[in-house]
Amino acid sequence: MRRYDEDVVEVVRGPQPGGAGGVYRAFGETLRGLKTTFARILEGPVTVQYPEEKVPVYPRFRGRHKLHRFEDTGLEKCVGCSLCAAACPADCIRVVAAENTPEHRISAGERYAAVYEINMSRCIFCGYCEVACPFDAITMGHDYELSDYNRSDLVFTKEMLLAEPLERTPLRAEGE
Amino acid sequence: MKLLFDRVDEPGLNTIDVYRARGGYEPLRRALAMRPDEVVAQIDASGLRGRGGAGFQMGKKAAFIPKGDMDKFLVCNADESEPGTFKDRELMQKNPHQLIEGIAIAAHATGCNRAFIYIRGEYDYVADILDGSVAEARAAGLLNHVDLVVHRGAGAYICGEETALLDSLEGKRGNPRLKPPFPANQGLYQGPTLINNVETLSTVPHVIRMGGAEYAKLGTETSTGTKIVSVSGHVRRPGNYEIELGIPSREIVYGLAGGPAEGRRVKLWFPGGSSAPVLTEEHLDLPYDFDSMAKAGSMLGSGSIIVIDDTVPVIDVAKWVAKFYTHESCGKCTPCREGTRWTLAMVERMDRGEATPMDIEIMAGVQDQIIGHCLCVLGDSMAMPIASLVKHFREEIEAHIEAARARREGIVSPDSPREQPTEATV
Amino acid sequence: MPRPEVRMVTLTIDGREVEAPENSMLVDGAKHGDVEIPVFCYEPKLGPPVGACRMCLVEVEGIPKLQTACSTPVKDGMVVHTQTERVRKAQEAVVEFLLINHPLDCPVCDKGGECPLQDISYGWGGGTSRFIEPKRHFRKPLALSPLVAIDRERCILCYRCVRYSQEIAEDYQLVLLERGAHSYVGTFDSTPYVAPFAGNIIELCPVGALTSRAYRFRARPWDIEAAGSICTLCPAQCNISFTVRDDRVLRVMARDNPDVDDGWLCDKGRFAYQAVHADERVVEPMVREGGTLRPVSWERALDEAAAALSRARGRVGALAGDGATNEEGYLLGRLLREALDCNDLDSRVARGPSRETARALSAPALGATVPDVEFAHAVLVLDCEPMDDMPILDLRIRKGVRRHGMRLVVATSRPSSLDPNAAVSVRFAPGAGEAFLAALDAALAGGDVDSAAGAAGADPAAVRELARLLREAGDDVVVVWGERLTGGPRGEQAARALLNVCARLNLRRDGAGLLEIPSSANGRGLREAGVLPGAGPGWSEAADGRDAAGIARALAGGELGALYLLRTDPVRTHPDRTVWSAALARANAVIAHASVLTEGLLEHATVVFPAESYAEKEGTVTHPDGRVQRLRPAIGRPGGVRAEWQVLADVARRAGLEIALPTGAAATKLLFEAVPFYAGLSLVDLAADGVRWPERDAASALDAPAWEPVELERPPAAPSPNGALRLGTFRPIWAAPEVEVSPALRFLSARARVELSPGDARRLGLASGARVHVSHDGTGVAAEVVVRSDVPAGSAFLHEAQGANALSSGEPRLVEVRPA
Repeated sequence: MRRYDEDVVEVVRGPQPGGAGGVYRAFGETLRGLKTTFARILEGPVTVQYPEEKVPVYPRFRGRHKLHRFEDTGLEKCVGCSLCAAACPADCIRVVAAENTPEHRISAGERYAAVYEINMSRCIFCGYCEVACPFDAITMGHDYELSDYNRSDLVFTKEMLLAEPLERTPLRAEGE
Repeated sequence: MKLLFDRVDEPGLNTIDVYRARGGYEPLRRALAMRPDEVVAQIDASGLRGRGGAGFQMGKKAAFIPKGDMDKFLVCNADESEPGTFKDRELMQKNPHQLIEGIAIAAHATGCNRAFIYIRGEYDYVADILDGSVAEARAAGLLNHVDLVVHRGAGAYICGEETALLDSLEGKRGNPRLKPPFPANQGLYQGPTLINNVETLSTVPHVIRMGGAEYAKLGTETSTGTKIVSVSGHVRRPGNYEIELGIPSREIVYGLAGGPAEGRRVKLWFPGGSSAPVLTEEHLDLPYDFDSMAKAGSMLGSGSIIVIDDTVPVIDVAKWVAKFYTHESCGKCTPCREGTRWTLAMVERMDRGEATPMDIEIMAGVQDQIIGHCLCVLGDSMAMPIASLVKHFREEIEAHIEAARARREGIVSPDSPREQPTEATV
Repeated sequence: MPRPEVRMVTLTIDGREVEAPENSMLVDGAKHGDVEIPVFCYEPKLGPPVGACRMCLVEVEGIPKLQTACSTPVKDGMVVHTQTERVRKAQEAVVEFLLINHPLDCPVCDKGGECPLQDISYGWGGGTSRFIEPKRHFRKPLALSPLVAIDRERCILCYRCVRYSQEIAEDYQLVLLERGAHSYVGTFDSTPYVAPFAGNIIELCPVGALTSRAYRFRARPWDIEAAGSICTLCPAQCNISFTVRDDRVLRVMARDNPDVDDGWLCDKGRFAYQAVHADERVVEPMVREGGTLRPVSWERALDEAAAALSRARGRVGALAGDGATNEEGYLLGRLLREALDCNDLDSRVARGPSRETARALSAPALGATVPDVEFAHAVLVLDCEPMDDMPILDLRIRKGVRRHGMRLVVATSRPSSLDPNAAVSVRFAPGAGEAFLAALDAALAGGDVDSAAGAAGADPAAVRELARLLREAGDDVVVVWGERLTGGPRGEQAARALLNVCARLNLRRDGAGLLEIPSSANGRGLREAGVLPGAGPGWSEAADGRDAAGIARALAGGELGALYLLRTDPVRTHPDRTVWSAALARANAVIAHASVLTEGLLEHATVVFPAESYAEKEGTVTHPDGRVQRLRPAIGRPGGVRAEWQVLADVARRAGLEIALPTGAAATKLLFEAVPFYAGLSLVDLAADGVRWPERDAASALDAPAWEPVELERPPAAPSPNGALRLGTFRPIWAAPEVEVSPALRFLSARARVELSPGDARRLGLASGARVHVSHDGTGVAAEVVVRSDVPAGSAFLHEAQGANALSSGEPRLVEVRPA
């Protein structure tokens, strides 16, 4: 037999409004915030004048991706394994691989990425692609200025990702 | 007491006339007069154990062959390739008719109508002798009940393994087969097959001549009869000796073979060919028979004693064992194929001074994972001696590794000799 | 041998009671208790286990050594442990051993992501390796054949591919070379491994050692989707799975169905998917304008086609061929019979037996299934070459002989690739199948064998021996026969003789019967859908009409005005090429569904509708053993391609016949309603493995009474060569437009070859490779000589490729062979 009175829970209410306690509860926190405001007023404005001025980023900031080449041979590090595409939670990487030939050698291994595209409008900059890459071929750069006028221009191709980007983003110095 | 080697150096013994003059083929005549099961009973009563390595009782094996009117095969395993074993060669070279008679008797006993002698390709000249003797025996009407063929192998150690031998005989790549089915039921061309070693089959005429019970009186209770022991290595008189099973091992190594050279002592010895776990000097007083060797942690195997004296570093023995079995692994089972190669690489690394004593653990661990994990015992044949070397000589191997490393890393001048002289390697 | 009965035994695995079929291996038995034991070399499809990889070591109580679960049969009361420390260590060790030589190039390897070695290393491996020595190295990658790449470094020497080549395909090409750790898979002298079934080793390989060169680096497992369907490139109708990426078919894999294909595919089935995306493919409707075919809009093409057909109302013929579904056949029948008042339609290349006899031949009680071939006591392969006509059946027959002791007897005119497996092989003159059957009938009935055998050009003693074997082998006898046996003017008599033989062997029983290999991929389905002169859907009665040969003559003679070609080009595939060329040239309109413009269409088609590929199609097809199977679209139709059922319905509507077809499934529904023995089937039932209609209750709709042996006519004697040669023609497995347009397979395209016996070749002064002119009555074709030792003297066999059908007529013929 179910007893309904077991389900009845007593509601604990706060103190009644009014009185000195009531005034403090109404304005106390506001005053505390104002204290901070007035304390900082002498420091002047902290707004950054973007885009003339840019916010520096930390060295581990995850911005626009870069694809790399071997410095000695100039071959692409990427072998087109698609592991980045598999790891990508936003499904924004598309890789189509092809085979190297002795006459037409792109990467060090047997295979290379014939197509490597990242759809920047979908990317969530989680960095999983960098973690998944077995050859350190893709890393996250520091650029965050990725806006464009056309959605299709946000699909970065392999050539764009391989090209040395103009480093326009200042790095935050040690301890800054 | 000499049975197999009785007047073995008599000139012309490989001809049928000389062999007959000393009473040869008399046991065959007697056996043919008996019922097959009576012959099997005699062999069974003799307690004759296989001389090829496994030591399985021949009488039992023969009894496994099913009765009935189908093609049955008898295969004589003459693929004698175990390092240190050379008894079958002498038996076939000097007294081939003894073997042919044994095959003829065993074929009658088991009802086999086809018989093969699978002889290793390197014994070409011995195969020529056998060819001649088989032709003689056939001409004399002694092989009317069995069709005997001498087949030359192509020089693979693995083809001494019975199922690989059958594959090779069928014209396939010599790889061991899965057992069961055992050859007694489905062997050569899927027919019942009896496989025995040359020495075992050569003993059969003597068993029939003496009677099984009489033969069983020789040797010990569980290791009856005589055995030919091939003694090699650091002894003064290496060679084949026929002994009664159960005599002290020391009598073979020191008495018959003369022991190691002046001023040297036995460091270790293989009691049953290179695939047997090694024993040390203290084991020399054990009786030389199947059970005593097993009890001491080794095996009688094919009955070949390899003696290594104290001039040889243990690592060289290990390297030599590993090299042989790595070369001869057929490649079918993973642990043997990869384990032998890995072991050899590790031993070589130890010798080059690129190892640490920790590698001994890895090596011992690898051996553990080879033993008993393959289709046939080739992997075990390397793993067991290597494991026994580690067991008996761990300190020496550790010292060797350290010394080699010191030499390599220049702590000791590279010109300084290895801690032990190496001229007298095996 | 009949299928063995299965008894269940109970054993304990990891403390759990498991029921498993007796004599199954522990690996399979354990699956009944949801215990997985890792394996590499074990593959039940390959026959008895070899126990080479040692991955499946487990502990069995009472046996001191660890046992390989792949080779230990389950026993009642057995106690097995798969999780003990000892087992775990041994399995870890095997993984460690295997990875000693296996390169860790998974990111590059095509197998990465679908690799058993990866999975097992994760599941059962130790995670680290203690091996620091250099790995074994080989040159890589090498082409094992133009279709298969081999990477010997990745090979773990599991023997699967070698066993497959030796024991399944029996081409004996792949071997293991060298020994120990240096072993590698290869062929003698590095000859390319080219064989009709070579591609299966790609799927068998548990690592990335054998990979498809066509699929090389195309996609990774997470990029793709699998889509199950049916391969309609030949009558075998194997169950396949398309690998699709970005709406393109990149690979075809077997979708194991033991009742159809046993999990194997031929190389045509495996690689001809490339034709789907070939440049040569027709993807837009075309109309002939000023002598050439030009792309036009659908409206225009449909209007033109309907107008041409309506103009020729009452004088239209139609042919249906390879890859047409049952629904399309059914709709074609309605278009012809109802909208155009015509009865001249055929799906066979030559006239077959009468409707009654044909019904008796397809009686459900007389039908054998594909697995029956494997488990029969004896199989008679009659006037067909399974390797070419229905490739996957060839493997099934070999399996029966090798594993179940089935006795194989072969009776063909051309030497068969199954001869080495046969207990008896009998040769008869090309086209003399009827006479051979008469002789066999006589031998079974104890009559006069010699005269009929003489007419067949066969050895009477061999016929008697064959008859004795069939009688004595056991009750279950399956006759596998080719459509050509009952094709042609004497088809009726041949069919009666065949029915006599069946009656004498009492084949109306389970496990025995007939299995006909039709000459087109869905031959059986099209006949059952009513694409026949004189028989409507479900072999119902219909007004008689002209057969294929009759249509050709009528077109050439002007009695017919238009021709509707549903996925066929008679100039290429039908006998009498010259007559067909003339017929098509004379026709006022030739309307064709085609995906490739073959020679006849290129020259004569007036309207071409782009045909769907089998990867785009929906509908049903019927397997030669009566299994109705479902095609499912794997990819979208490219370009302007429309569903063909829709095209047929649109043409019919314009010609005045309204068929309400909102979807493809509606067409299927109409078909199932029209064919009495398909009644009650639904697409859902067909979803996975299809349904064999002869096993359903509705099959009684086609039941024919048991055949009583009849008196046979005296068969005509095969023409005596007298210096000329008897011509036999056959279509090789590679003679298909799909092979020609698939880049990977192009190197295999069939060429016109003529096979001669060594004696005839010597007499004519010809050697293999010589160019010759094969002619009859002034018609001739060029061909290349192949001297084959087992070709019977006096016969020449011409491969039906590159116009070689100019010489075949469906009747026995003599030809002259002269150096070109």
